[in-house]
Amino acid sequence: MADWQIDLIKVVFIWVWALLIAVVMTWVERRASAMMQDRLGPNRAGPFGLLQPLADGIKLFTKEDIIPERARKILFILGPPLFALPAFSAYAVVPFGDKIVLGGKEIILQVSDVNIGFLYVLALGAIGVYGMVIGGWASNSKYSILGGLRATAQLISYEVPMGLALLTIVLLYGTFSLREIVLQQQGTFLGFLPNWGFFKQPLGFIIFMVAAYAEANRVPFDLPECESELVTGYHTEYGSMRLGLYLFGEYVNMGTLAAITVSLFFGGWGLPYVDMSRFLGPVSYGIASFFVFFLKQAFFLFLFVWVRWTVPRFRYDQLMGLGWKALIPLGLINLFITALLVQLTT
Amino acid sequence: MDYYFIIFAIMAVGAGIFTITVKDALPSALGLLTVFIALAALYLHLHAPLIAIFQVSIYAGAILVLVVFVIMLLITPDEELETTQKNVSYRAMGAILGAYLIALLAIGLKGISQLVAQKNLPEGFGHPKAIGMLFFKQYILHFEMASVLLLVALVAAIYLAKKNA
Repeated sequence: MADWQIDLIKVVFIWVWALLIAVVMTWVERRASAMMQDRLGPNRAGPFGLLQPLADGIKLFTKEDIIPERARKILFILGPPLFALPAFSAYAVVPFGDKIVLGGKEIILQVSDVNIGFLYVLALGAIGVYGMVIGGWASNSKYSILGGLRATAQLISYEVPMGLALLTIVLLYGTFSLREIVLQQQGTFLGFLPNWGFFKQPLGFIIFMVAAYAEANRVPFDLPECESELVTGYHTEYGSMRLGLYLFGEYVNMGTLAAITVSLFFGGWGLPYVDMSRFLGPVSYGIASFFVFFLKQAFFLFLFVWVRWTVPRFRYDQLMGLGWKALIPLGLINLFITALLVQLTT
Repeated sequence: MDYYFIIFAIMAVGAGIFTITVKDALPSALGLLTVFIALAALYLHLHAPLIAIFQVSIYAGAILVLVVFVIMLLITPDEELETTQKNVSYRAMGAILGAYLIALLAIGLKGISQLVAQKNLPEGFGHPKAIGMLFFKQYILHFEMASVLLLVALVAAIYLAKKNA
């Protein structure tokens, strides 16, 4: 196979995989929330209700597509795809496995190992907000505009602590490439702890996690949607598949953030204490590393749901206060200490 | 013919013209977003991925989001912007300033011929490490000056905000 064919297969595979994760996540979200509230949740379509996402998809596709009369038509149509596309594109730099040897050729399980790795993810995360803003503005409704307005303010406030937390990781590993960061996290330090970013940067991890929930607009930071005040915020006027794209983009976003968390703080595809490449063949090792990565990612995806039904929504001023008065100073202190330690130990 | 360059150059210039001619505030901001993204694509073409990412994450991801925030605070979707500046002397000054900028660009174009001629890029060109080295060795003074300027702006902003509170 030529290199471009391999690349094409990787791109198609990761797109389908990201889609699949998002589809299953809609089911997991509803079943898990039902479980936590002592309900049953959707259990009619297929075994355990597993076909429910399919039924929802058919419903959304066949519903009447309504564009409000006073909406700005072009922008209204442009909003949902602009929200969903950046979320998908961010998967391009996620190292979803180590490497696999097929037909004597070593294939790295990552679409593109660029040396600016996670800066690319950050940049795309920032672009995603325009989808919400355009949707909110184009709907020409009070709730939608307020939702879009909140989305912009929230994004700016939480990009800074997220960047500060990620800078500490760069200081530790000395590279922006996600694959190299994962490679450096194999093995142990101090004799017993896995060499993971989480153990070296616990504070950085907490700051990153909080900021990630705010970036993904998930409870407790889902103020752009905020049902109790804004109906559903920026997508109040949307229906049919346009609404579907917004909801779907959110799940893809969660998948990306979970994958980034795993590769930066939890050793990516590596198992702690066990070097899988020693006793697995080249092909099975590739598949095993892919599944280890997926399992870790699945845990963080579930955590999104778990937190949603555990922590109540923040008030808007509390959200801003947490971002600017708590996370940013903490991030700065953490960055300073890390820089000092790195300077002293190398 | 460098098609990649031509496509994104046309995109950047077209979106730029759209930005300054359209009378709706938000589409104008989106035009600017397109300019930024087209520029980032051109930086990528010049083997400078880090600059391209900064272009997107700082200009499109932070500064323009602030601009959009202000637009959404002050203007509703039904409003159109007032006609441009009516004062003739202001318009004349703007024209002179514009001509001056174009002249600057024309002078800058002389350097581009050298840039295009140089096909062999130095080792590690555009890599974050190389840029960091340049910042903290060769251009440390410029770098620090920029940070001091930003600090001054920050202090001034806090002062103004406290005065009104």
